[in-house]
Amino acid sequence: MTLTPEKDYGTPPVATTDRATVTIDGHEVTVPAGTSVLRAALEAGVEIPKLCATDSLNAFGSCRMCLVEIDGAKGVPASCTTPCADGMVVATGTEQVRRLRRQVMELYLSEHPEDCDGCARGNCEMQGLARTVDAAEVRYGRPHTREEVAHPAPIDLSNPYFGFDPAACIVCSRCVRACSDIQGTFALTVEGRGLDSAISAGGTEFLSSECVSCGACVQACPTSALQEKSVVDLGMPTRSVETTCAYCGVGCSFRAEVSGEGDDTRVVRMVPSKSGGANEGHSCVKGRFAYGYAAHRDRQLHPMVRDSIDDEWRVVSWEEAIDKVATGFRALQAKHGVGAIGGISSSRCTNEEVYVVQRLVRAAFGNNNIDTCARVCHSPTGYGLKQTFGTSAGTQDFRSVDQTDVILLIGANPTDAHPVFASRMKRRLREGAQLIVADPRRIDLVRSPHVEAALHLPLQPGSNVAFVNAMAHVIVTEGLHDEAFMRERCEDVDAYLAFIADPGNSPEATAEVTGLDPAQLRAAARLYAGAPSASIYYGLGVTEHSQGSTMVMGMANLAMVTGNIGREGVGVNPLRGQNNVQGSCDMGSFPHEFPGYRHVSMDDVRAVYENLWGRPLDPEPGLRIPNMFDSALAGMFRGLYVQGEDIAQSDPNTQHVAAALRAMDLVVVQDLFLNETARFAHVFLPGTSFLEKDGTFTNAERRINRVRPVFPSKVGMDEWEVTCAIGRAMGYPMHYDSAAQIMDEIAATTPTFAGVSFARLDEHGSMQWPVNDQAPFGTPTMHVGEFVRGKGHLVQTVFVPTTERTNRRFPLILTTGRILTQYNVGAQTRRTSNNLWHPEDVLEIHPSDAEVRGISTGDLVDLASRVGSTTLRALVSERMPPGVVYTTFHHPVTGANVVTTENSDWATNCPEYKVTAVQVGVANARGDEAAEEARAPLESRS
Amino acid sequence: MIAPEARLGNDIARQFAHLPEDQAVESVVRHLETFWDPRMRRALRALAAAGDDALDPLLVLAIRRLRDRVPHQETEAHP
Repeated sequence: MTLTPEKDYGTPPVATTDRATVTIDGHEVTVPAGTSVLRAALEAGVEIPKLCATDSLNAFGSCRMCLVEIDGAKGVPASCTTPCADGMVVATGTEQVRRLRRQVMELYLSEHPEDCDGCARGNCEMQGLARTVDAAEVRYGRPHTREEVAHPAPIDLSNPYFGFDPAACIVCSRCVRACSDIQGTFALTVEGRGLDSAISAGGTEFLSSECVSCGACVQACPTSALQEKSVVDLGMPTRSVETTCAYCGVGCSFRAEVSGEGDDTRVVRMVPSKSGGANEGHSCVKGRFAYGYAAHRDRQLHPMVRDSIDDEWRVVSWEEAIDKVATGFRALQAKHGVGAIGGISSSRCTNEEVYVVQRLVRAAFGNNNIDTCARVCHSPTGYGLKQTFGTSAGTQDFRSVDQTDVILLIGANPTDAHPVFASRMKRRLREGAQLIVADPRRIDLVRSPHVEAALHLPLQPGSNVAFVNAMAHVIVTEGLHDEAFMRERCEDVDAYLAFIADPGNSPEATAEVTGLDPAQLRAAARLYAGAPSASIYYGLGVTEHSQGSTMVMGMANLAMVTGNIGREGVGVNPLRGQNNVQGSCDMGSFPHEFPGYRHVSMDDVRAVYENLWGRPLDPEPGLRIPNMFDSALAGMFRGLYVQGEDIAQSDPNTQHVAAALRAMDLVVVQDLFLNETARFAHVFLPGTSFLEKDGTFTNAERRINRVRPVFPSKVGMDEWEVTCAIGRAMGYPMHYDSAAQIMDEIAATTPTFAGVSFARLDEHGSMQWPVNDQAPFGTPTMHVGEFVRGKGHLVQTVFVPTTERTNRRFPLILTTGRILTQYNVGAQTRRTSNNLWHPEDVLEIHPSDAEVRGISTGDLVDLASRVGSTTLRALVSERMPPGVVYTTFHHPVTGANVVTTENSDWATNCPEYKVTAVQVGVANARGDEAAEEARAPLESRS
Repeated sequence: MIAPEARLGNDIARQFAHLPEDQAVESVVRHLETFWDPRMRRALRALAAAGDDALDPLLVLAIRRLRDRVPHQETEAHP
């Protein structure tokens, strides 16, 4: 039960054009045929009591509270399971149904303790419902305390975020159904029968169970038997603020329910919004529970400076810190040239903050040395989709997956990295859609409860392009392509058909490279091409390769060849890593593009910004992040402003990055914490968490969503204000009154954002760009009828193998990824109880590879590549294919990027994180030392 | 030790090697002019002038066509 429940219609809406008109308590209402009487009643303004029904779940009909009488029908059916029929006449408040409801409620109360904490907090739906149905007396007696209930059981407090009190449970099964129907994990069940029935997490405590702590069960619980510990600790919230999650690219909408005002504001809980376009009321363990980092003791709340990175930090005023930044940057430019400094924006910051950083660089710094962390994740998406379709973004909304028949999932692990979308995907799979997984690792979606991939193609890391070409080859040579679509919508058709039909692209010819059974690949191609609607979803397993951009274009080819583009249920859909990767790219964070993906050499676009910003702008591209590092080591790049990004941990070849940062004269870090990059910084500017920000995030489906401040900035300034202050201190007038004013400037200068404003987002909710006169409320599906670039471009995606090869010295391939409970470099999640699930990064290794090296699960092992080595624990797992090992990069002590190389995507320089030749062996004494360091608390480490 | 510009330039050249030579050279040029900082293009020229044998032959041909000042509006680099 939440603070201000969103209207709950009891059962989900029915999607049909057929209509039924019914009369409920004298009110006539017309609804889609098949709508429940319960829902129709509320639409007619009549609220029927209910306990087990909620509109996020299909009707269950167990609580017997929503009974009604229907003219001409026998008995008193449950309105939640009774569909409306045309002409039906319903009575919801007859004496018979009132009496029955009272009697049912008496039975519930006879098992519900009078000392129920939820009732005391006013957080128990049943208590309110008892009053509604006039169940004032309980003829059967009522337990005074929880110990007096018929079958007392201990409270399960094993989960760090919520507890389960069986005594307060009425076994309505809402939690069980939320776990199965919404989350798709099936961790909960009802054990026993009759009065002995009880909710069970698979016969064990919650923490040891299959539960993924998404919190859907807690939200669904009508009695507070399942309750957030934060509510127990802090009491019920008193107000709420609608905002957007700051974790992955799904971009879930939440109501931050809080108590207190101003600086004393405390977040009591985060409740996902049903009206959230991306998540529709669902959440994951990170978004719902892992927000405590915002108030963590490690937060740095004051500006700090030092002359050398070997000196101690000195707390100073904002004025002194900003003056040091401005003076230092100007001095470096005077001595080494205008291009000697640059900036990096962050996908964890708002669109408005990112926009202002790129303005600072372009107008105040006077160069285009602006880049963003998308460089190391989805920059190939931007390149590849722009080349083929004409715009650097995914083609669909998340809802589109509800219409798909076949999902081709490539290099993505949604249940860990994009869990809320994964739940939606699993729901569609349970409805009958088919799944093809192309991934070296046997991810959960290959086989999990009630979900099993039709095909798992465990392709070799580095062979993506050969794989996607082989798929297209089969489709074209077997005549499964949509030639009419290609001729009408695409260009270079004949050249592409000739290229892809070449026998060198066949599954058989590429099998040695891909490691795939040609018959399996052919089956996958036939399944994808034969579906009425087939969709591609992909992640960093596509982009973080030396041919990441080529692979994105290869997937676009596949969609165009089969006509799977420009409608619901199809498309090419990047699953973005961070909450605002899409937005940070949209906002002109790349060194060659202004906001809206317009090249800096475009005179007309440059003129718009030159007039607005009052400075001549450089018509040439600037340096990308890896170029900045190389240039720093060459002595030409001397100063860097890094906003909200931990490049020393997240970027590849850590030694190279560290050397580059050491070579710079002035490194300015703006962040919540003294991260790894701050070890090389001369100025630290404290940043703001998402709970303090006012602005917008844009998620993986191009959805622009409001981020609203839950409490005031803990550091006294908004981040965009700090950026503007740096500009002014450098002699460049730069001022905004508010974040809303920044968005107004974005809208005035960026055609795809023309119709966006805070006022419109506040009034209408989130919108997917383009938002303009033609699409005033946004564009859920792109490329309908015509591609943004006109004709879709079929690119000849020649497979060029990576130069990173295994050899006798480094015989294994390392690939990296994420885990559900941690996020990116872990700066946020490591400062929450999520560490309970993943306290350290581990190396997954196939049993055969482990056996020949004498490695067992739990052993400390050395992981070495040609650029470096690190130590971590092994997990022997058949999820990995032989020859491939896997780890995450959430913990700095592990230093997974110590071993990754400088290899990168040829077009965008996105690092090739997914392919590193390595050797693994049982660690020596150095391993013990590393393990000891790993166990040390965060704050004790430098 | 190969220069960063040579390594990155070679990566680009390899992607276009399947095309007829003139088209391949033009594609490499367009990519470098669209996405590379002019200082990096100058570094490439210096490497070529110094006869750096680490440079891909296709990249060397492209370097000869690089212009000092890119006059174009937005261009797209199609492999």
